[in-house]
Amino acid sequence: MRKILWVLLILAASHLTLCAGFYWAMLQPPDTFGRIIAKTPVPFMMVLPFETMWTSARAGRLQAGDAAPDFRLPTLDHKSAVQLSSFRGVRPVVLVFGSYT
Amino acid sequence: MFDGYNSKVAFYAVYIQEAHPSDIWQMRSNIREGVIFRNPRSDGERFQVAESCVRTLGIRFPALIDGMDNTVERLYTGWPDRLVLIGQDGRVVYKSRPGPFGFEPAELEAALMKVVPQVVPQVAHQVSAASGKVTDQ
Repeated sequence: MRKILWVLLILAASHLTLCAGFYWAMLQPPDTFGRIIAKTPVPFMMVLPFETMWTSARAGRLQAGDAAPDFRLPTLDHKSAVQLSSFRGVRPVVLVFGSYT
Repeated sequence: MFDGYNSKVAFYAVYIQEAHPSDIWQMRSNIREGVIFRNPRSDGERFQVAESCVRTLGIRFPALIDGMDNTVERLYTGWPDRLVLIGQDGRVVYKSRPGPFGFEPAELEAALMKVVPQVVPQVAHQVSAASGKVTDQ
């Protein structure tokens, strides 16, 4: 009986350690996180509450109701640049963040 | 959604740091589709990958390219993907949960309908016209 308890305790501790480690990785910059996860065996990821951790780790500080941080970025055709604040009082803006891969 | 709101809302794709570049975290699904790019090392390389992305996926709204310092990605926690709606007053109306799990166009559309209510009657008009009951609203 005591042996079983010990085994369970060790399993729970390793699971918590794994979760904590991954949560830390999710808080790192994207390329660091990518390097870590690329080397992680798939079964490890399957025992984690990945989506819950991910949603929390990458929530960011910006919330609905906050002033949208201004930026100026070039358009793909190099012909112009877009200043977000130029739309204030003019029209709403949708930003779709993403990459190819 | 873009067609419905294009005249009243500015849509931009913000091309950010690659999610699964070949030199960092290659995904099998990307190999199958031949989408294999290393992490761009310069602005020029980033523009090239963004160009392929826009062309292949047929993205119809203008693309903005985040700098190599990833400033805008960090301001909005945009990586790997995310949807943001900014109201006419310059405040965030809707910010999706982080992608890929939180990338929900339906949620964005619900937020858009609140910001641009004028679009709703147009859709209602089309529906009633299709069912034969043409009402001039």
